[in-house]
Amino acid sequence: MITRIFLGLALLLALAHRADAYPQYQLSRDTTCTGCHLAPDGGGLLNENGVGVAEQTSWKGGDGNFLHGMARPSWLELGGDVRLASGFVYPGIASVAAYPMQAEVAASAGAHGITVNLVGGLRRPDEEGSALHVLWSREHYLMWQQHPGEGHGLYLRAGRLMPTFGLRLAEHIVYTQKFGGRQLYGEAYALAASYVTSSFEVHASGFVHDPIASAVEHGDGGAIYLEKRIGAHAAIGAEGKYSSSDDLHRTFGGITGKLYLPDADLQLLAEAEVIRQTIVAGTGDTATQFAAYVLASHPLGKGLMLDGGLGHFTQDTRVKGLTRDCVDLNLHWFQTSHLEWLVTARLELLDLGSGTNGGYALAQLHYRL
Amino acid sequence: MKPRFARLALAVGLAACGTTPDERPVTIEVVALSILAPTCGQVQCHSTATHLQGYAFDTLDAARMAMKRLVSTTGGRSKLLTVLTADGEERMPPDAPLAEEDIALIQAWVDAGAPGL
Repeated sequence: MITRIFLGLALLLALAHRADAYPQYQLSRDTTCTGCHLAPDGGGLLNENGVGVAEQTSWKGGDGNFLHGMARPSWLELGGDVRLASGFVYPGIASVAAYPMQAEVAASAGAHGITVNLVGGLRRPDEEGSALHVLWSREHYLMWQQHPGEGHGLYLRAGRLMPTFGLRLAEHIVYTQKFGGRQLYGEAYALAASYVTSSFEVHASGFVHDPIASAVEHGDGGAIYLEKRIGAHAAIGAEGKYSSSDDLHRTFGGITGKLYLPDADLQLLAEAEVIRQTIVAGTGDTATQFAAYVLASHPLGKGLMLDGGLGHFTQDTRVKGLTRDCVDLNLHWFQTSHLEWLVTARLELLDLGSGTNGGYALAQLHYRL
Repeated sequence: MKPRFARLALAVGLAACGTTPDERPVTIEVVALSILAPTCGQVQCHSTATHLQGYAFDTLDAARMAMKRLVSTTGGRSKLLTVLTADGEERMPPDAPLAEEDIALIQAWVDAGAPGL
């Protein structure tokens, strides 16, 4: 019976997602990721200011706290995310599909700057594994914060988390995330240090792949990200990651840029990465790849935000024709401080349109607990 | 004379652009790790975390096991190439088809008897 229940839950979870940050808000509010989130690199649980931003920027606002203000002890923060989606995928499946994307709860408990942090929930079932596979914890780590509640200073973390580097956009299908070493569920067991100030931030982590749960990150290595603010409305960053598995050695290096144009109320985010991939198994091979993404975001009114994105990926610089380019369009409607509607569409061009094209158009519903 | 020379130069140029040789080794490692892993082996698809339809392509070992069921080493059409080149709902990956160069390399590997499988 229990197996059937778990299988039923598992079948509901057909496509995954994770709760990440909206860095579109960062420079327009002259803040850092820690201005809105508990984690030093953003994403996941909101802090008090983040809840306030959710209330102020959404169409109808409302109490943005967990379950609209459920009483809880001061040492405990709770949250969670549920996402559903429906839409068209082209050309393989030119029909409407509907599926859950995410069902997770998050908790942070502790005092005096030391917290235990947990994100867990459902993931897609393993068709050759146990029914219990659908239940898992994507993140679980211990964190020490130098200045509790202040959003700056030194953070140390140990446990299962996403090694920090590059832009951390909410959409995992962005090329610099999908191909650039930050895949969905790419968390690993890591020791991570972050130092965050209003003018710069540094994140460094060493990691090993999850030896128990089937992991997306199959390698061991390290990652680093540095970001420097230039005035109130611009920032530049540098990123690097190395990962070594039985199959591959992969080295990532890149730059990021953020620019807010106040007169146009336009936020620009950009990232470019070079990836050196060496196959160490068999006879081996080494390829150089390139991934880039530019996102422009503009609020259309209270609770509405429009994103336009351009992506490029060169799979192997030695071979002509192995390129992908995409045009993304996302319309976010933050109806309340908890409820977001998103229409997202992508047109993907192989070899700049000379190959077969692909794409999708999806409507998503995101409810933050 | 000049227009004819210009057309000839253009034709030579276009031909040169379209005939860049694929330098990648035709091996199971390149097929699995450079082509199938980043496209078919994404976590929500055919990965070792999901084994969607019983297949995983995100590691060499997993891809080798999958391709033993998808690739014929004794001639005949391989199911792998059939789904990669199909039209409509049968094609994989559904939202982002493989480049022709990748399919050509997989075809060459299959034609060579799928060494390493």
